[in-house]
Amino acid sequence: MNDKQTTRRKFLVAALTFSGMATSSLGISFLRSSAAWAADTDSSDNLAAMGRLAQLLFPHDGLASDVYAEVVGQVLAMTAADPASHGLLNVAEDALNTALGGSWATAGEAEQLAAVTALQNEAFIVGIREMVRWRLYDNAGLWQHINYPGSSKEYGGYINRGFDDIDWLPEEG
Amino acid sequence: MAQRYEKNDSSVVVIIGSGAGGATLANELAQKGIDVVCLEAGPRLTLADVVNHGPTMDQRMGWHDKREGPLVWICKTVGGTTMRWSGITPLFQEHEFKALSTYGQLDSGTTLIDWPLTLKELRPYYDKAEDKMGVAGTHDIPSFPETNNYKVMAAGGKRVGYKEITSSRVAINPVARNGRPGCQQLAFCNSGCAIGAKWSTLYTEVPAAELTGHFELRSEAMAMRINHDAKGRATGVVYKDKDGNQQEQKARAVCVAGNVVETTRILLNSESSLFADGLANSMGNVGKHYMRHTFGYALGLMPQPVNFHRNTRQSGIILDEQYHKPERGFAGGYIIETLGLDPWNVSNWIGGWGPENTAFTENYTNLAGIFITGEDPPEATNRISLHDTERDENDLPVPVIEYRDHANTLAMRDHSMKMSRAIYESLGATDFAGGDLPAGAHNMGVARMSEDPKDGVTNRWGQTHDIDNLFVSDGSTFSTSAAANPTLTIVALAIRQADHIAERMTQKTL
Repeated sequence: MNDKQTTRRKFLVAALTFSGMATSSLGISFLRSSAAWAADTDSSDNLAAMGRLAQLLFPHDGLASDVYAEVVGQVLAMTAADPASHGLLNVAEDALNTALGGSWATAGEAEQLAAVTALQNEAFIVGIREMVRWRLYDNAGLWQHINYPGSSKEYGGYINRGFDDIDWLPEEG
Repeated sequence: MAQRYEKNDSSVVVIIGSGAGGATLANELAQKGIDVVCLEAGPRLTLADVVNHGPTMDQRMGWHDKREGPLVWICKTVGGTTMRWSGITPLFQEHEFKALSTYGQLDSGTTLIDWPLTLKELRPYYDKAEDKMGVAGTHDIPSFPETNNYKVMAAGGKRVGYKEITSSRVAINPVARNGRPGCQQLAFCNSGCAIGAKWSTLYTEVPAAELTGHFELRSEAMAMRINHDAKGRATGVVYKDKDGNQQEQKARAVCVAGNVVETTRILLNSESSLFADGLANSMGNVGKHYMRHTFGYALGLMPQPVNFHRNTRQSGIILDEQYHKPERGFAGGYIIETLGLDPWNVSNWIGGWGPENTAFTENYTNLAGIFITGEDPPEATNRISLHDTERDENDLPVPVIEYRDHANTLAMRDHSMKMSRAIYESLGATDFAGGDLPAGAHNMGVARMSEDPKDGVTNRWGQTHDIDNLFVSDGSTFSTSAAANPTLTIVALAIRQADHIAERMTQKTL
């Protein structure tokens, strides 16, 4: 039964919940207070730092960094287009820097991971995480990496292309 | 050809909704020469509109109106949720019509009742439904082909001792039948079947009804309230048409089949001086006893490739756990079914982040999947109501959904996860993920059938206890949920209801 739609809705509900929280408890002025990885300042350094966060959240060995960069670009576009999540990335960077006591973007992997782990249940990390998940697992490059071919209609489905080709199951007896 | 009726023609039966219940009822009535106007809130897609991409199709056919509470996963489109369903069609067992007699009340919170009908009475209608829908393995239709994902579940199921394992009982053509093609294993069943091999009312009941000359479909017509006369009989349905104008279609009888949320909303929103709490709600049961099944998913990381993305999403079932065996620690039973997932759903359902999560997506081609559907005891506190103040873009009160899992559901899910894990581990699975699916896809209750009017909203025909010419024709009428995916039973009940309505019209009592 279920497929993308279910959790898409679930995610949107979560995102709405998050927006309410962001605007009420964190405050708009704080959301706009710093600009490092901000949606508005997409310098290549900023994108690289966000890409690093995406990679730590959903690590796939050997997946081209271009894919993470593309996903980050889409997440930035999503936050820029949605007033409720605008500034989300700034909040995340400030919090990660504070948790680490320095620059998260230039820290070593163990320190970066420790900071993300410490903040993993914070709404801004959950919000970014779900946006990254939403775009990453709908990405053609990721699909290629895990051998998921996507649409099959144009190839006539799998009726003649291996829908029943499993050959390693034990013989009955 | 498709008929057109005047809005003041009060001889027509008005049906709200064109899904499994509404469109089936409409076609059955039209075949008997009874004039029907069907109001469908969503647009009428064609197969050319169906693409193999979940998010795109969710935008085209999902129901996204504002709601509060847990997700109810339904469609706003001609065909309703038959566009999205997976096609699995298990039968109820005898004891599942007698939940209260068989299980007893589970605690002070459950509101179990017996159905006011039996398997024996419904059996002929199950037969008609299977034939209409083309259920594989019935009515001389071949079995459904055994897919990779099915073969894994079946092999593991045998190893843990299961006996009732079949790739049939899906309403998806294994071979061409009745003008629809055989399944090509596109594997995007829940995005709408792009070739029409899966039964959906969009391309079966709706065009068949149109051919009779006794049926008019009005798509993008959002039903808002049901009007009644001074005697309390339904007289027509007010709806917003595709141009945003309010219209009223007069009616001889009204049948509501909007899936649980909209069925509840239209009944409650039709309050009047005569019916202060809404239509058919004299006992306060409209919206209550909402059930959505014990759901679960299980993913096994198998030692070698399965490639479940090449398979019809749900193409096989194990029935051994459907029985009532209280020694398992819960009442009622569940059904084990195959499940395929795209990468995003794999990641999202497992949840969390980091290597524990990506271990599954990284090895996507080695995943096998199981879906669990099991009996869900009704509780009066699991309910749908209308928000006191908030209104949506149609100026309708926003529905509020309240639902929590009963302890019986939690125990059943635990058991089903233990068994699913055993199935996959018997074949050497190296990792396992499983758990709840917090969504209402099988929606039941809210206008349930009851022998005693104080226990429900409708009688054994789906006719409301309070209003003679007002019927409910979707899963809302289920007295209890049983374990089976509900669509086959919805269709069987709709065929039976059509016979009843026609008979009463012949007798001039409707």
